[in-house]
Amino acid sequence: MVALDLAQNTLDGLMVGSSYALLAIGFTLIFGVMRRLNLAYGPTIMAGVYLGTAAFISLGAPILVVLAIVILGASLVGLYVERLCFRPFGEGARTASMVASFALWMQIEEAAMHLLPRHMNPFPALVASAPLEIGPLMLRADHLVMLAATLLIAGAATYLLARTKLGLAIRAVIDQPRAAAIVGIDVERVMMLTFVLASAIGGIAGFLIAATDAQVTAMIGMWATTKGLVAMMLGGLGSVKGAIAGGLLLGVLEAHAQWFLGPQVRDMVAWGLLFVLLAFWPGGLMGAKALDRTMAVGRRV
Amino acid sequence: MLDVQDIVTAYGKIEALKGVSLAVAEGRITCLLGPNGAGKTTLMYSIAGVLKPRRGTIRLGGVDITGQSPSAVVARGLALVPENRLVFPQMSVAENLEAGAYQRRDAAEVATDIERMYARFPRLKERHAQLAGTLSGGEQQMLAVARALMSRPRILLMDEPSLGLAPLIVEEIFRIVAELNKDGVTIFLVEQNVHMALKVAHHFYLMEQGRVTFSGEPGKLAEDEVIQRAYLGTSRQTSGDTTSSHKPG
Ligand SMILES: Nc1ncnc2c1ncn2[C@@H]1O[C@H](COP(=O)(O)OP(=O)(O)OP(=O)(O)O)[C@@H](O)[C@H]1O
Ligand SMILES: [Mg+2]
Repeated sequence: MVALDLAQNTLDGLMVGSSYALLAIGFTLIFGVMRRLNLAYGPTIMAGVYLGTAAFISLGAPILVVLAIVILGASLVGLYVERLCFRPFGEGARTASMVASFALWMQIEEAAMHLLPRHMNPFPALVASAPLEIGPLMLRADHLVMLAATLLIAGAATYLLARTKLGLAIRAVIDQPRAAAIVGIDVERVMMLTFVLASAIGGIAGFLIAATDAQVTAMIGMWATTKGLVAMMLGGLGSVKGAIAGGLLLGVLEAHAQWFLGPQVRDMVAWGLLFVLLAFWPGGLMGAKALDRTMAVGRRV
Repeated sequence: MLDVQDIVTAYGKIEALKGVSLAVAEGRITCLLGPNGAGKTTLMYSIAGVLKPRRGTIRLGGVDITGQSPSAVVARGLALVPENRLVFPQMSVAENLEAGAYQRRDAAEVATDIERMYARFPRLKERHAQLAGTLSGGEQQMLAVARALMSRPRILLMDEPSLGLAPLIVEEIFRIVAELNKDGVTIFLVEQNVHMALKVAHHFYLMEQGRVTFSGEPGKLAEDEVIQRAYLGTSRQTSGDTTSSHKPG
């Protein structure tokens, strides 16, 4: 039966991991253009989710309206974070940006408590149908929606980066910011757009996560920062493909840990991985190659 | 075409440019010589909008561009081949060229220009799909030049394009500089290779410790004398005398 457990866990892990992948895509885009960590990323998402569900609770907004509010709310709060924590400081002031984003984290949580003071708040459920059965395996319908949405957004992000002019500008800023300015790219504008885009993607992830649980607490902010950060680190910083792989991997590892070691261990997996990664593979499992390449280039220059 | 008046640019408290004035005449090749740390790169970045001068004015084609953003300066027809090339290492050769044409809206013309660059730099054509970071130093320099040309500049600034390149490639770079100039591009070139620089330049400036200390026309001065001034140092008494009297017009 262990084989079946393994298969079921892996399947569940992939589904949950797809939401981590979305978080990691947003995280990695911000990290790529800013080269600084945005600790307020998760709380930005939480703010969007809280605004959405406030409309749901008080006005009975339908689920698609809630989705729109979550995306818009996360984008605007993301813009606010960029203005306050990143725009004023240069790339040289990494610590200043990180500390400032930590301060905004606290501020956003405080504001959320005022908006919805209860610890646990209802959130519109995604799909309420019974789980699908595939042979001996079970699959939740809302998890399928989550996976489909992840693939769609990952595809759209990849297309944007690879095929559009904005994507070219984003990659140029990630790759060599000074050269990007020299060829006439408005670097500050690209940073701002990337920040808003990443926050919107995070908002979608937050929506999907809250909707599959049909409830939400303010903890989702901290939770999203942790999961997104670890998934990004697993996949190697600054790559969309790596972010997807890292998110799925984290989901699968957590599912196995929960099944075999218990639910308390589940959340320790992310923290443990973060520690191991920082200690042994600071470039990420898949980022090592990219890092080598960058260093080789650096040596030649 | 380019007029720099009394520019002061500082890194923190240290003034790297202490009041630099010079002019680059349209259609000419103007060369900026000077020892390491003189402030040549600082001047290039100040003109291109990457660094903001504390004082002074920079005019391009009669328009004041002092303190404008790099993208605004590119829009006015200036392109920079930066020191150390600064290609986009994780992007292909072709994408580097596309990035050079970032502000242009004429996609079809951009495609033709990329083909033109490939005709001028056949090595880039061979390697169009290769990541720029994996090119040789000489190839990266060609790419940096081609990328700058993709914006169709009226004036091209080049910061030590021959740095670290083999003599044959240096010759090729200078041949390209002369060709571009024949095609009507105004060129402002920073060089440490005095011999090559004086061969192509119509006019040159010498910079030391953040100041222009000498300017002249190559034919009128023995090369040794320029080298002497540029690298063995000049006494303050003899310097500065011709600074503003040789402005090309
Ligand atoms: N980012 C910086 N921060 C502080 N000081 C700087 C910085 N960049 C340059 N400088 C200083 O400014 C002065 C001028 O430097 P700059 O790079 O403009 O010289 P350069 O003439 O281009 O020299 P080289 O021929 O070596 O390229 C030097 O003393 C240098 O140490
Ligand atoms: Mg220099």
